Amino acid sequence: MSSVITIDHVSKSYGTCNAVSDLTLSLHAGEILGFLGANGAGKTTTIKMLLGFFSPDSGQISVFGHNPSDASTRQCVGFMPETAYYYPYLNIRELLSFYGGLCGMSSTLIRQRSEELIARTGLEHAEKRLLKTYSKGMLQRAGIAQALLHDPDLLILDEPFTGLDPLARIQLRDLILELKTKGKTILFSSHELSEAELMCDRVAIMKNGKLVLAKPVKEVVCDGNTNLERIFLNVLQAP
Amino acid sequence: MHTLRQLSALIRLSLYDLYRRKDLVIVTILAVVVLVPMSFATPFGIKGASRYLNEISLLLVWLFVLVIAMTRTARIIPTEIDSRTIYPLLAKPASRTVILLGRYAGVLIASLSVLLLFYGLYALINTMKSAFFPWEVFIQALLLHISFVILVTALALLGSLFFNSDANLSVSGILIAGMILYGQQLPVLAAEHSLPIRAILHILYWLAPHCELFDMRTRLIHHWPAIPWLACFCIFLYALAYAAFCFGIATWLFNRKKV
Repeated sequence: MSSVITIDHVSKSYGTCNAVSDLTLSLHAGEILGFLGANGAGKTTTIKMLLGFFSPDSGQISVFGHNPSDASTRQCVGFMPETAYYYPYLNIRELLSFYGGLCGMSSTLIRQRSEELIARTGLEHAEKRLLKTYSKGMLQRAGIAQALLHDPDLLILDEPFTGLDPLARIQLRDLILELKTKGKTILFSSHELSEAELMCDRVAIMKNGKLVLAKPVKEVVCDGNTNLERIFLNVLQAP
Repeated sequence: MHTLRQLSALIRLSLYDLYRRKDLVIVTILAVVVLVPMSFATPFGIKGASRYLNEISLLLVWLFVLVIAMTRTARIIPTEIDSRTIYPLLAKPASRTVILLGRYAGVLIASLSVLLLFYGLYALINTMKSAFFPWEVFIQALLLHISFVILVTALALLGSLFFNSDANLSVSGILIAGMILYGQQLPVLAAEHSLPIRAILHILYWLAPHCELFDMRTRLIHHWPAIPWLACFCIFLYALAYAAFCFGIATWLFNRKKV
């Protein structure tokens, strides 16, 4: 199986604080990886390095075999940030048109994909409203739409379930599973362990910048008497 | 094609911002409120005194355009970072250079559209008011004002990578106002001092933007002759070169900026 993401002995620190220490992890094509950990565990820093926002202090990162800081690498990557802030003076169509333009898409393709995604994320009723009038959950949906706009092969979702109501959660879960069936590779960081257990092929748990567990979900919860939540607590409470 | 689409998207974003935040409406109202009464008024019935009112109205045009151009440019990057819109933006397959260029071009076009609105209204009012209108000086004044906007926006863009938007506006504003008012006095002042102050003043004179070169208001109002076109063109090139220099440094910094 080919590796979409390869993280090889990566470390990153902010001043004296080690955000990520000697992290080695890979993500295979068509896989869903749940990237878990408490606040400040190093998940977002790792995601930022995967997107080329900054380089690691040591170690190597490659996405589709390329350096993530090359703009062309990001042609195959869709990203949904943890906090969904978008330009408040745009409506959803204008937002998608803007991001589509940044992806180099033609206006016809942008229009076609926008129609699909606005319908898929349930924002048809609000498509003429400016984003400043959207609720948090609606902004999350807008974030999902912009991440999927250019039909990327790799999706990086940072806390995608935050602010979503139960119905929207189920819709997002279905969407992620549908994308998997289409061969997309998905990495999502989350505190929602139940969602991770339901969707992921593999989970990776970070603690204080270090990877403490990376296993297939089936292996983690194999005996039937435990669940991911319990495993997560055990891993984090271990000295 | 790919880069053009990216630039076009970034420019449209700035125009949406200008339109949706009602800045254009406010600017239009300001233009009408400031230019119309001042251009038609004849204070104390003295013929020719209206020229001085015209001078005041053009000064206000300068100030409005300067404020709009600088506040918009100074906020580009800090606002993207503060509002966290920078993350989805940088995650798209556009290089940081293209993003900065597109955002700068967008703000520049928005600012220049405001400038053209003011100048268009000024020309309309003055051609209605009197039979003679100094078109050549007007075009030179417009060209030099466009050059000035190109220069100050590039300067504010560079400042936005060092300071937050308020500090940037203060520093850039002081530098620009200082150079307009005292720029030509620096060599005179330098001659009165010994080293190292003399050297510092000379370096400041050559490094700081010569904003005083772009002001054609007096010529336009008092119907003085136009300046040679070669001189006008050289000042335009100076503004472009200075803006390119600022933009080059800003790009270098932005490409290394951690977000």
